[in-house]
Amino acid sequence: MFLPYLELQGIIAEMTSRDTNPNFMNGVPELLILRLLEDAEMYGYEIVQAIRDRTDSVIAVGEGVVYPVLHALEGAGALKSRRKTVAGRSRIYYSVTKVGSRRLADMAAQWMSLAGAIQKTLTGGLYGDVVA
Amino acid sequence: MAMWLRELRERLLRAGVAPRHVRRYLTELREHWTDLTAEEERAGRNRTDAETLALARLGRVDDLARIMIERPELRSWTARAPWAVLGAGPVLGLVALWCVALLILWSGDMWYLGGSLGGSQTSFVPPHGFAIAYFGAGRMLYYCAPLAAGWGMILLAGRQRVQAVWPVILGSIVVALLGATGDVDVRPDKGDVGIRFFPPASQFADAAGHALLLFVLVAFPYLVWRWRGSRLDFEPQ
Repeated sequence: MFLPYLELQGIIAEMTSRDTNPNFMNGVPELLILRLLEDAEMYGYEIVQAIRDRTDSVIAVGEGVVYPVLHALEGAGALKSRRKTVAGRSRIYYSVTKVGSRRLADMAAQWMSLAGAIQKTLTGGLYGDVVA
Repeated sequence: MAMWLRELRERLLRAGVAPRHVRRYLTELREHWTDLTAEEERAGRNRTDAETLALARLGRVDDLARIMIERPELRSWTARAPWAVLGAGPVLGLVALWCVALLILWSGDMWYLGGSLGGSQTSFVPPHGFAIAYFGAGRMLYYCAPLAAGWGMILLAGRQRVQAVWPVILGSIVVALLGATGDVDVRPDKGDVGIRFFPPASQFADAAGHALLLFVLVAFPYLVWRWRGSRLDFEPQ
């Protein structure tokens, strides 16, 4: 049941040198990016900062890693981009499309299910009690 | 452009990442680097240290290249199917350009000559003024189409830093043969305007010479680019 989630897009979370890089972070950057962009359009630097701020630096996506994810999500129709010049700087802002919102909902549901199952297992409960 | 960005660009293009993704990626990384540098400077570091730290935070060129190259969906069609794109692409381009040229010929005939190509009985009216320029544009397009199609292919191969020589040579040969043997065929009795590809036996020598000339003109810029690229690759950095 977890396998499809873990195989999603093959995204690898590159952690900075001060962080660990567990394999179960696969797919997390995509999930976080979609969630953040659902609230507001952002450019790459803002996205990395927002991930760090909102996760209290527990999750630190490598600074350059977001861009291939953003390009791939845009190619899949989950994001759209527009170039905007702000204070003389050319920024490429990304925002979520309807396809992206549906993808986020699916991924979030899978993640909640997975996280719940792990939590339950760690605390000694039964997997079947949590996962529908 | 900074050295690390140039190196990254070359690696990505040679690995087959589509030029539009490469261009945008570099733009975004450069802006990101500038933001990180400003952040480090606000933290009290001098400019040089800030830039170095910003670059370290952004990631090594190896890693920045790898995460893009690992994504097959970001590869260009030229990299995915070079034989198809560089072999069939120029043929389609040539056919499209010739179709436009024939359309100009046909429409010019209808507008300025009263449809004489279609066997109209209207007496011949010598073209003048804008009509001369109109027919001239069509004629130029017709004659330049093989070169335009061939150079378009070379441009595609160059932008993608295609390393394989044979797809480009094949495309050049095909364009040269089509360009040299294709001839406008007007049949007023049937009202047909088209292009035939089988020259009479008496014109084979001319067609062969024409094909050789086209091949040289199309392939020469590519071969020069490859030769210069190979020399730069071996130059000590």
